[in-house]
Amino acid sequence: MKARLIAVAVAVLVFVPAAFAAGTTKHAVKKANAGTTIVIYASGDVNVQNLWQNNIIPHFEKENKGIYVKFVFSPHGADDGTTLARIGAAVKGRHWPGIDLVDAGLVTTLALDGLDQPVSKATAPNIKKVNPALLAPVKGAAIPYRGSSVVLAYNTDHVKSPPKTLADLLAWIKANPGKFTYNSPNTGGSGYSFAETVVDSYISAADLKQMDDGYVPNLESDWNQGLQALHDLTKYVYQGVYPNGNAATLQLLAQGQIWIAPVWSDQSLSALASGQLGPNIKLAQISNPSFTGGAAYLGVPKTARHKKVLYKFVNYILSPEAQQMIVNVMSGFPAIDIKYMGSAIQQKFEDVSANTLRPTFSTKMGNDFKAQWQQTVP
Amino acid sequence: MVLPPVAVVAVFIGFPVGAAIAYTLGKTGGPNSTVALIAQRQHVAKHGVTLGAYREVLGNSHVRGDLWATVWVTLLTIGVVVALSWAIGLYVRLSDTWIARAVSALSVIPLFIPVVIASYSILTFYAAQGFLKTLAYHTGWHSFPTLGYTMWAVVIGEVWVNVPFGVLMMSSGLNAVPNALIEAARDSGASLPQTIRAVLFPMNVIPTVIVATFTGIYVLGSFTVPYLTGPSAPNLMGVSMSQFFQSFNQPQQAEVMAMIVFVLAAGLGTIYVWANMRAAKRASQTT
Repeated sequence: MKARLIAVAVAVLVFVPAAFAAGTTKHAVKKANAGTTIVIYASGDVNVQNLWQNNIIPHFEKENKGIYVKFVFSPHGADDGTTLARIGAAVKGRHWPGIDLVDAGLVTTLALDGLDQPVSKATAPNIKKVNPALLAPVKGAAIPYRGSSVVLAYNTDHVKSPPKTLADLLAWIKANPGKFTYNSPNTGGSGYSFAETVVDSYISAADLKQMDDGYVPNLESDWNQGLQALHDLTKYVYQGVYPNGNAATLQLLAQGQIWIAPVWSDQSLSALASGQLGPNIKLAQISNPSFTGGAAYLGVPKTARHKKVLYKFVNYILSPEAQQMIVNVMSGFPAIDIKYMGSAIQQKFEDVSANTLRPTFSTKMGNDFKAQWQQTVP
Repeated sequence: MVLPPVAVVAVFIGFPVGAAIAYTLGKTGGPNSTVALIAQRQHVAKHGVTLGAYREVLGNSHVRGDLWATVWVTLLTIGVVVALSWAIGLYVRLSDTWIARAVSALSVIPLFIPVVIASYSILTFYAAQGFLKTLAYHTGWHSFPTLGYTMWAVVIGEVWVNVPFGVLMMSSGLNAVPNALIEAARDSGASLPQTIRAVLFPMNVIPTVIVATFTGIYVLGSFTVPYLTGPSAPNLMGVSMSQFFQSFNQPQQAEVMAMIVFVLAAGLGTIYVWANMRAAKRASQTT
């Protein structure tokens, strides 16, 4: 049955892009008479949907009469695989994929496989405000537009002073068996960040830089020591289990079953604001090394249309005004340097003390890392 | 008349299956070129075919662990589902009380509850702070095991999901046995167990085989229950397949695993076909 499912999925991957491209072209031509319509595809949780649909897009359309933004949303990235195949096929066949701007995890794959249009200062001036370190892993072919960092969440009822460094944290985990866990790296970025941070602490800075910027499978033996350390940690982890998904760790934390866990800064700040996490949960960052952060990237497929209008939109997203919305609406990190933002923002991020995001492995290295973790740690 | 359905099957099932088989054998051209553009760690055949992907997947001891876990969870689930649905079916067939009717109605309820919701409920019910463990603690059993995030939770979940179908099949199969046959057996002095063994069981073989094979095929390809309630590793093939496909960006390896599951499921399918053919042969002999 699974075989057949995959087979059907493959069929859809092959046939739908062509059919869809034909269908949407007609539709867009009709609208072009009234103004210019650009199509954006985004995937993620409801906070991402809210950011685009109720904040960035209405403000942009209000300021730019005659430009319409059509928003396509895929909850939890359910359509990411199809969209990736669709854009891949369209760019290879040199026709419009039906999407002009993508906000999803697949953007980094698009960028590295040469399916994305590089964006420069000439096309979108605000790109110069972005931390250049975030552009290297995507070869400048994707635009970081918001960030979030992984931080340590701890239960103040049981943990009076949280660990300050990675070594302290590892010592704490061993001293308090069963009170720590992280989600399996292949199901969410917060657990992934913890696993990578432990492994990173055994790797030389030069090798790490290569892993962040490109795909160097021959350096993967550097991981062995760190993976062994993670494997040794399994007996101190809550039930020896790595739950699936970022939300699962937050739930264990909220129930008081675990006392410390790595969590996403934006997700936990939202959870604290909505009361899903109680007031006894506090956040802190560790050092030596710190947890990695991640940027969310926008991508422009090479065969996107209305590029001039599109870059206007991209430039708007990187403006301090739109970046402020990211901070307000989803507790995200601004992608542009904090010095371009108000002093209120600088204070807001003081308690997680990470105004630069420590880069993470490039996508392909990350995929291999997840595979090796799955084989060696649990 | 027959052509349109045949064409649909050929285009939407035949062609992709063919393409997928070619991809697992290292053919990355044609319909596989898009997936091959993106995938990592592929085995590409320059001439002819290569079994590299199969060798890699079957040589991976963790995949073999997943495969073994899949096989024993499948067999155990089949056993429990067949036993449970036989028991409930028999009870409903032989006893016409309101309790029997209530039991049969209750046993079908899982059919109407989404598997995701059910999996989360099973996880919280059997978790370290779950209802069952709390109850056991209060009655003095302090070492009661935590079943959440273990293979036992997976088996419980799979049984929970599959029992309604089993009960429906068994009760309709048992209801098809004429009352006259049962009464004749009882009148000539057969005890209840003898009646079941000599009359009800032989007349209900096909529904039993259907329940066993369909349950087996469902468990082999299941994802939601093991993903949410199972341990980190080893887990069922469905979970590990999707990890290879999505998280590790190794679609070729994932498709090889799909082929392995397909072969297992085809094996179960063969039993089903064989049982049907045997029944058809017997029917033609007796008439």
